[in-house]
Amino acid sequence: MTKRVAIIASNGGLFDAYKVFNIATAAAATDQEVDIFFTFEGLNLIHKEANKQLPMPEGKEHFADGFAKANVPSISELAAIAQEMGVKFIGCQMTMDVMGLEKEDFVDGIEVGGAVTFLEFAKDADVTLTF
Amino acid sequence: MENLKANVILDAKGLACPMPIVKTKKAMNSLEAGQVLEVQATDKGSKADMKAWAESTGHHYLGTIEEGEVLKHYLRKSSKDEASEKKHPNVINNEELEKKMEANENIVIIDVREAAEYAFNHIPNALSIPLGELKERINELNKQVETFVVCRTGNRSDLAAQKLAAHGFANVINVVPGMSGWIGKTTGINK
Repeated sequence: MTKRVAIIASNGGLFDAYKVFNIATAAAATDQEVDIFFTFEGLNLIHKEANKQLPMPEGKEHFADGFAKANVPSISELAAIAQEMGVKFIGCQMTMDVMGLEKEDFVDGIEVGGAVTFLEFAKDADVTLTF
Repeated sequence: MENLKANVILDAKGLACPMPIVKTKKAMNSLEAGQVLEVQATDKGSKADMKAWAESTGHHYLGTIEEGEVLKHYLRKSSKDEASEKKHPNVINNEELEKKMEANENIVIIDVREAAEYAFNHIPNALSIPLGELKERINELNKQVETFVVCRTGNRSDLAAQKLAAHGFANVINVVPGMSGWIGKTTGINK
């Protein structure tokens, strides 16, 4: 049976984004079914504009060189790779309402749902992660 | 340097985690069951990752060779029909073969797995003839002597044993299960 990985992305920094998408793409590449629930600042990770300029944690800006040197893909590239491999993105409706965001503000192919949408998937997950 | 003969070579050099795994997954889709993929990577974490990836996807991690900065990982795509019925009547189990080897050092053992599988781990003195090359190399073998055929799980060796029997080999024995359950002596690169 296929393993199921449920991820909650609730932070909007660059490091958070790498943690979420690296785990998600690695799991998808390992034939696992992956859903990510993006909520609060985590929505930035799939926002068309915001995910191109996610902030480094304060005082860690010097890592930018390291990222370039290690040839790490950009967050928008990783998000596209994740989707291509079947990772499902769910945007949190409630946060979108609070922040005045529409589905069109996000990368194509996302679903929008409430907490129950995610819980329904997560109840049978083999691995649940929160970032 | 032994020739590992991969069917497909994937260049993942210079890529950071998780890209080597993502590319490996994609490349593996293009292979046929039983074929060997060589992944060239410079990500030092890829060695542990490849092993773990193969374990959870059911493919076979054969081993890794380090050439300077470059790690060459060898993986064999699994086949769905691993548990197929064996047809060659004459079989021996691993333990019995081990005993025979101890009793007689000049025993003939043919390993019909792919060259890369053989390279990393094989029974000392076993001769490597991948199943796909058996037909054209059959003349290298002596029909009169007792010949043991081994692979990973006993399926390819079953086919090979049938082929040899059909070519007039009087005494061919399939080793079951073979290398997947072999606890006796082995040799190979990295050993």
